[in-house]
Amino acid sequence: MDMSWDSWGMLACLCTVLWHLPAVPALNRTGDPGPGPSIQKTYDLTRYLEHQLRSLAGTYLNYLGPPFNEPDFNPPRLGADTLPRATVNLEVWRSLNDKLRLTQNYEAYSHLLCYLRGLNRQAATAELRHSLAHFCTSLQGLLGSIAGVMATLGYPLPQPLPGTEPTWTPGPAHSDFLQKMDDFWLLKELQTWLWRSAKDFNRLKKKMQPPAAAVTLHLEAHGF
Amino acid sequence: MSVLQTWLVQALFIFLITGSIGVLLDPCGRINPESPVVQLGSNFTAVCVLKERCMDYFHVNANFIVWKMGHFTIPKEQYTIINRTAASVTLTDVTSLNIQLTCNILTFGQIEQNVYGITLISGLPPEKPKNLNCIVNEGKKMMCYWDPGRETYLETNFTLKSEWATEKFADCKTKRDTPTSCTVDYSPVYFVNMEVWVEAANALGKVTSDHINFDPVDKVKPNTPRNLSVSNSEELSSILKLTWINSNIKNVIRLKYDIQYRTKGASTWSQIPPEDTASTRSSFTVQDLKPFTEYVFRIRCMKEDGKGFWSDWSEEASGITYEDRPSNTPSFWYKIDPSHSHGHRSVQLMWKTLPPFEANGKILGYEVTLTRWKSRLQNYTVNDTKLTVNLTNDRYIVTLTARNAVGRSDASVLTIPACDFQATHPVMDLKAFPKDNMLWVEWTTPSKSPNKYILEWCVLSDKSPCIPDWQQEDGTVHHTYIRGYLAESKCYLITVTPVYADGPGSPVSIKAYLKQAPPSKGPTVRTKKVGKNEAVLEWDQLPVDVQNGFIRNYTIFYRTNIGNETAVNVDSSHTEYTLSSLTSDTLYMVRMAAYTDEGGKDGPEFTFTTPKFGEIEAIVVCLLSIPIDNSSGVLFCFNKNRDYSLFITCSSFLFRIKKHIWPNVPDPSKSHIAQWSPHTPPRHNFNPKDQMYSDGNFTDVSVVEIEANDKKSFPEDLKSLELFKKEKVSTEGHSSGIGGSSCMSSSRPSISSSDENESAQNTSSTVQYSTVVHSGYRHQVPSVQVFSRSESTQPLLDSEERPEDLQLVDNVDGGDGILPRQQYFKQNCSQQETSPDISHFERSNQVSSVNEEDFVRLKQQISGIPQSCGSGQMKMFQEVSAADAFGPDTEGQGERFKTAGMEAVLDEGMPKSYLPQTVRQGGYMPQ
Repeated sequence: MDMSWDSWGMLACLCTVLWHLPAVPALNRTGDPGPGPSIQKTYDLTRYLEHQLRSLAGTYLNYLGPPFNEPDFNPPRLGADTLPRATVNLEVWRSLNDKLRLTQNYEAYSHLLCYLRGLNRQAATAELRHSLAHFCTSLQGLLGSIAGVMATLGYPLPQPLPGTEPTWTPGPAHSDFLQKMDDFWLLKELQTWLWRSAKDFNRLKKKMQPPAAAVTLHLEAHGF
Repeated sequence: MSVLQTWLVQALFIFLITGSIGVLLDPCGRINPESPVVQLGSNFTAVCVLKERCMDYFHVNANFIVWKMGHFTIPKEQYTIINRTAASVTLTDVTSLNIQLTCNILTFGQIEQNVYGITLISGLPPEKPKNLNCIVNEGKKMMCYWDPGRETYLETNFTLKSEWATEKFADCKTKRDTPTSCTVDYSPVYFVNMEVWVEAANALGKVTSDHINFDPVDKVKPNTPRNLSVSNSEELSSILKLTWINSNIKNVIRLKYDIQYRTKGASTWSQIPPEDTASTRSSFTVQDLKPFTEYVFRIRCMKEDGKGFWSDWSEEASGITYEDRPSNTPSFWYKIDPSHSHGHRSVQLMWKTLPPFEANGKILGYEVTLTRWKSRLQNYTVNDTKLTVNLTNDRYIVTLTARNAVGRSDASVLTIPACDFQATHPVMDLKAFPKDNMLWVEWTTPSKSPNKYILEWCVLSDKSPCIPDWQQEDGTVHHTYIRGYLAESKCYLITVTPVYADGPGSPVSIKAYLKQAPPSKGPTVRTKKVGKNEAVLEWDQLPVDVQNGFIRNYTIFYRTNIGNETAVNVDSSHTEYTLSSLTSDTLYMVRMAAYTDEGGKDGPEFTFTTPKFGEIEAIVVCLLSIPIDNSSGVLFCFNKNRDYSLFITCSSFLFRIKKHIWPNVPDPSKSHIAQWSPHTPPRHNFNPKDQMYSDGNFTDVSVVEIEANDKKSFPEDLKSLELFKKEKVSTEGHSSGIGGSSCMSSSRPSISSSDENESAQNTSSTVQYSTVVHSGYRHQVPSVQVFSRSESTQPLLDSEERPEDLQLVDNVDGGDGILPRQQYFKQNCSQQETSPDISHFERSNQVSSVNEEDFVRLKQQISGIPQSCGSGQMKMFQEVSAADAFGPDTEGQGERFKTAGMEAVLDEGMPKSYLPQTVRQGGYMPQ
């Protein structure tokens, strides 16, 4: 039951997000500086979001109260399958090609953003709602940035699942503790994803650096 | 009751009628458009449509329409009749912002009735907003601002629009009071580019600014670094370490800094080189600071790449660098007490405290060592800045060090030479001049290179002693300014002493003013002698305290009661001037102004009257009203030319008379006169006793003045003197008759008192009797008093009354027949050549009027004079003149100035010769 709520909600959110990203006109307007600057900016944005999340998570976990705000709180993962997992085998991560790496990031943040918006609706205090709203906006900005990088590199954006509509439907009742647990894991997974994304974009950034850029692109081209 | 009912019915009817159309009154017609807004300068057309009912009622049609703007009727030419019910009006080039336009009809041919009115509003469409920019104050929402362009005169709305590539943000509408900026409602997301533009819209149009695309992180104004603190280092006195807390933005962006510092109390900031602070940090060590100095710091930051805005400056924080040993030696000098006892000298060693930037810490004390040849050191520890020691007359080496918590300064070494040391090598070409409100001193380095220079200065005043202040300058310096408080209008005596390894060199002095002013008092002019057509004026030099500057010249103003004022400029070196071409028997008013470079000041006015009778004619009037030897009579002696025998006769006659009248005259040989009369130099002696020779005395005393003929040979004078003596002897015992006979027996033709003109022209020889008595009797001094003085030691009293009367006769060459002093001197000094010195009789007569016995001495005096005359005496005069110019007080100053056991030798001719030099060279610059 829970799964279905999460799945539907996530899909609805995902569709909403993707609906707004058919094209990246801002990046198209900037001439052709190559993907370097936008990758750098996306990397900076992940670091910035990571920094933002740190203070947001602290506030939100305090809002959730004990035991969620205790430093050593580390529950086993529940309902984890609905959240995109950031952790991956190092070898697998290294072997990811740029397109796949970017696509995984894009898909992950699309899902996470939808969950986060659900979180925002539940938040009690205005300040917290404001922080969450700003973080959501920032995350939306990150999605746009990733989409921009993909567009620059000529990769198509992942399409939403057919038949899903861009509406958010509340799922069935959820126990309060489990709901908080979901929120806890959402924030934790977000943090892990931001760490990973920073690494992803750092790797991309190094690949796109001017001296090696031509060779790298050549190899990538062969890859596809 | 029925009336009320009728009224109520009517009112109800009207209410129902009008209520049905929403207004209380139904107008007779309407104007279209109802609320127009037009662009300034454009044309506007309005149409008035009349209602049939109204037209029928008033029997009018569209031809009867009259358009008005306010109270002004618009000319018919601007109307257009469209049809029977409608007429339009066209306004061209609308320039008023607000126009009341009414449509009226002319009823019954002349009565204007208003039909409808509209308000026409005009203005301009908005201009394209320019210079759009945004700022993101850290932690706050983004604010954008722009230049709205010209005034539109209409309500104009500005809307800030922003969007991402993927999303539009809510519009930001400006508030009425801030139409040029808008703060968006969301926190911007860093590292995601956004596009921003402004729309301006009013009733006349809408226009959009250029779009700007930026990353909000490039518009950040970081929060100010906090908790700036400063700490010093005991190891290094030249550094201070700053620490601060960065704002949170450092987690997102890299920062660069701007650090400024200044010494406490300074107004300008120094800046740390930007390249040293171009990356994120939270501390910085500032180097190359001065020891023991308080510095104030402030810091700000911005994004490392220079995009965005500087933060505000942090609060200032201050710290003091650690102490270091004194970096310089104190200025060091000494004074020798002039009243030294035999074999010993009292020497006052003095030094200046080090300025903070050289002391490098708190000076805890000074150490002085004294070394004499082949004797051991004497050590002194002093907290004060002076030390008085008793030294023998030998040469001493003195050293001085200043000590603080860290260490000692290098030693200042001074040689105090032995008593018999001769100072040499003075500085040359010493000049002093004001510039930039400071008194500058410059000089030429002596041939021998000095270790240092000592500058001393003090205010020259008659009221207070010269208390010198001093400063030290390096041996390489040859110009500096006086570092001390200097007042304006004060005369400063500045002395420069070069200091060599073996002792001080010769000092040289100069006078200077920081800023001159007009004198505070003008000179007091008076007559020294008044002739029929001339008057000799004299005055005293102004005291230094009222001069307020260098006296450059005098102006004498004189006038008669009715005449115009005449002005005469006189060189400042003079103290006498002869007014000529005066009218006889006339009252003159004379005053005098003295000028410095900054202006002049008048002295008091003095009046005198020229006598009716000429002086030169040698009119000797012997008015005797007292019985002599049982007889009484009046004796007139006229002498047109040089006739000494007559003069002698008259004189001896007078002596007889005087002896008769004042029998109890003190013996002059026992008076002071007996001492001074024969030997004192004639005019240039300062001794107040010399006043007895002034003309006033001759005036007061019944004397005879003789102006010798220049051409007359000296032997003749001797002869006449011989005669004089003989006459004196021969006239003893029989005074009566002799005077008369001698007068009457004159071989020269007698001249009546009316022959003034002729006598005035003849100046070759004059025998004057009571010359000034004319004016004295008539305008100044009662005759009785004059006589009573003249026959006693009163000349001394007289000199006390007029102590200022000791002027030099320096315009020797200007001497004419009525300048007895000058002539006296001139003759004195040229006697060996051609001129007979008959004018000595002036004195002889004066003396003789006291006691006849003096005639003997007089002769001796006269005979002795030629030996002392000539060029030698002239030279003496010059020397005295120079000394006089400096005045007795200056001598006193010289004494007090006797630092280093030296007399401060005044620069030669300093008072008079220096200043013109500086003026010529342009060295003196008036403020």
